[in-house]
Amino acid sequence: MIQKKVCMVGVFGTGKTSLVQRFVHSMFSERYLSTVGVKIERKPLDLDGIAMTLVLWDLAGRDKHEDITGSYLRGAHAMLYVADGTRKETCDQLPELRALAREFAGDVPGVLALNKTDLTDAWALGREEEQAMAAEWDMVRTSARTGDGVEEAFRRLGRATLAGKETAP
Amino acid sequence: MTATATTSVRVDAWGQTDIGLRRTVNQDHFVILRLFKAAEVRQSSVADPGAFQALHGPEGWLFIVADGVGGQPGGELASATAVTSLVKYLSQAAGCFNNIDTDKEHDVLQQLEAAVHDAHQRIQEEHGSGSASADRFAAPGPATTLTMALLIWPRAYVVHVGDSRAFYLSKGRLRQLTRDQTTGEFMMDTGAWTEEQASKAPIGSMLASALGGSDMKPSVGLVDLQPGDTLLLCTDGLCRHVPDERITELLGNAADAATACRELVDAALAGGGKDNVTVVVGRMLPD
Repeated sequence: MIQKKVCMVGVFGTGKTSLVQRFVHSMFSERYLSTVGVKIERKPLDLDGIAMTLVLWDLAGRDKHEDITGSYLRGAHAMLYVADGTRKETCDQLPELRALAREFAGDVPGVLALNKTDLTDAWALGREEEQAMAAEWDMVRTSARTGDGVEEAFRRLGRATLAGKETAP
Repeated sequence: MTATATTSVRVDAWGQTDIGLRRTVNQDHFVILRLFKAAEVRQSSVADPGAFQALHGPEGWLFIVADGVGGQPGGELASATAVTSLVKYLSQAAGCFNNIDTDKEHDVLQQLEAAVHDAHQRIQEEHGSGSASADRFAAPGPATTLTMALLIWPRAYVVHVGDSRAFYLSKGRLRQLTRDQTTGEFMMDTGAWTEEQASKAPIGSMLASALGGSDMKPSVGLVDLQPGDTLLLCTDGLCRHVPDERITELLGNAADAATACRELVDAALAGGGKDNVTVVVGRMLPD
């Protein structure tokens, strides 16, 4: 069985754990519990007839006290970057997070999940800002609450790991 | 970025268990295991003994606590079977635990999970299929919690089932590595209950997952430690009586792991000692 390590990377509170819970367990909780260390989940996938397992490393998010521990990223086959569309600053930090990921894991595929699309009233990004992000990243708009885009983001990442190429343009 | 320490550490490890003040049987068990591959130089003409230092190789430590499900017969047998079968299984696979090779890391994690599933099966085979809960209407049979940490410096792999807990203390801050697998937590996760409802519901503290039980879903995680950090594994006999702030204080101030264990257990007893209490402490001392 093909196994691929995928790291969830982003600022605290962007919904990394919620995306994993939605994708693996089809569950969503309003409760916010910050991740300590790394939580690991597995998700078998069938991608165009190829059976594989994504091993999801749900990393504690970056906050003002603690940065992401680079050693957790080593050996990753792909990154799912997660930003919260209701907090613009979580998008601003993406280039720095990508640089960190490349330092420890190399030039592996990455998909950006622009999360919390269900929170339309609190959405902080304008159309042009989103278009600019979509031009720079392989981006999927997601909502862990409704499930929109979640499967697509992970499956896209899975395909990229099988192709062994960077998906970002 | 948080730098991961590459220096080695000496591990000061100790464990202690106590029956508590109300129970007639201690259903808790623990084990501390040192895993290493080494060759010993008995004699040599080489002047520099440091030339053979690589022979010692890295070592691993395995910490386990298990809490037999209270109120069910044979809980102490389930926790003992869990501990012994895990040690047996993992000792046979010890060769893969001597360093962190990122390519093989998932093999290590799978071995740990396989060991837990093996222990679960053994409990069911040896003591009968049980329920995760202390529900009197449930099918009889013993079950147990399990919290296990495999330390291959600097990384601690944690596999967890039930409501025992793993913490680590780093720079004066205590962080819980595990989440209780109880009905209350599950219902809050699904959004069906509020925290208040979970704390008040009679079945809120019922285990949703246990070795030997009808449901057993290990959760897996890891954390990189630094010199000076302390790992704590404990059964709920500690946490129900000793708040996190007090645990932080006792762990932080203790001169050694044995003292930390003694003081934690004493605090649990002073707080009421309603349940068996077990603690395992591993201190990462700068070498």
